[in-house]
Amino acid sequence: MGPLITQGIINPEWNFVIALVIGIAFGYILEASGFSSSRKIAGVFYGYDFTVLRVFMTAVVVAMVGLVYFNYMGWIDLSLIFILPTFMKSVIVGGVLMGFGFVLGGYCPGTSFTGIVIGKLDALFFTGGLLIGVFIFSSIFPWIEAIYYGGEMGAVTVTEALGISRGLFTFLFVIASLLAFIFTSLIQSKQKKTDL
Amino acid sequence: MNKTYFVLIFILFALGLGALFLPETQHNKERSPRELFLAMNNPSRFVTTDQVAKKIIEADPTLFLIDTRPFDQYESYSLPGAVNIPLEKLLDTNGLIFSEWMDYLDIEGVNAVFFSNSDITADQVWVICSRQGIDNLYVMKGGLNYWVETILKPEKPVQSAPSEDFALYDFRKGASQFFGAGTISIEAEVISEPVPRMRKKKKTVASGGC
Repeated sequence: MGPLITQGIINPEWNFVIALVIGIAFGYILEASGFSSSRKIAGVFYGYDFTVLRVFMTAVVVAMVGLVYFNYMGWIDLSLIFILPTFMKSVIVGGVLMGFGFVLGGYCPGTSFTGIVIGKLDALFFTGGLLIGVFIFSSIFPWIEAIYYGGEMGAVTVTEALGISRGLFTFLFVIASLLAFIFTSLIQSKQKKTDL
Repeated sequence: MNKTYFVLIFILFALGLGALFLPETQHNKERSPRELFLAMNNPSRFVTTDQVAKKIIEADPTLFLIDTRPFDQYESYSLPGAVNIPLEKLLDTNGLIFSEWMDYLDIEGVNAVFFSNSDITADQVWVICSRQGIDNLYVMKGGLNYWVETILKPEKPVQSAPSEDFALYDFRKGASQFFGAGTISIEAEVISEPVPRMRKKKKTVASGGC
């Protein structure tokens, strides 16, 4: 739990309790956003429902703008935030695989669990497939290790890689997401209403 | 579209536009004057030339040498593996350390050792960097002048010097060869003084007595 445990403000034993609370909140929001329906999630690929795109873009934009302003106010130091290192090869290969899984199954790992909780059979099958996938991945890991660790770029951010300022990137991203919201709303308004 | 959406779009757009004009924030990690004063009075920041030489020879990965002299001097001679961060190019126009230097200076688990010709410039760099809250910084005592004096051209201690001095001299001689200060001919210790011979005492015939 971020700086609270590492700084000794709260006890490390609280980690699981906090994880449980955040997990419940995350699951609740996923379900409330309609992410427990595979048809709703897959809709973004077929062009009849863009809830997934809007929810994720909103989350990213709110977090991004919030962090930029928090950094400006001095409430948070962005240079101290942990950034996951980028492995370009595994990101591309994993991204393509994940995309296929998304379109075929209609879930991503997190949402499949939300689906199980409300009793969806397809989510149950999807999770079964997910566990088989985990097993296969672990079994063949020595052969794919080169891809897994391939194209290491270190903890790099988009702004560093492109050499643009954080503010400019935030502004461009906000514009792109607003255009995406408006554009997808227009597409969706032309579709006939389907009950998902 | 719902009216609320337009309001939200407008708010998000305004915030995004604002982000475009936000100045880059430098988070102040500066040490307080009291802390800096105490640190400056603490001589533990100084490392000796022998310690530095030993670490270079052992290829200690925690050692990071920083030459604080101007580039031309750095180019003509510097310590092996040293990086050049000249004092005059340390700060940007805002009086803060350039971020590209910070990548070198603020590395966890690495001890940066500053050196210059004497230790004055290096110490100035140390003060500036320490003030900005960077830890694990050291200064090579005496600088390169002392490096030449002690490591490259070590002076033989006087005969009456303690054995530690001779051990240190031996180390320095080895180090000077390691750093390629010419080939030092190892002279065999020729003892010129005549060895005093112990003569057997002639047995004297007991004279007199009983």
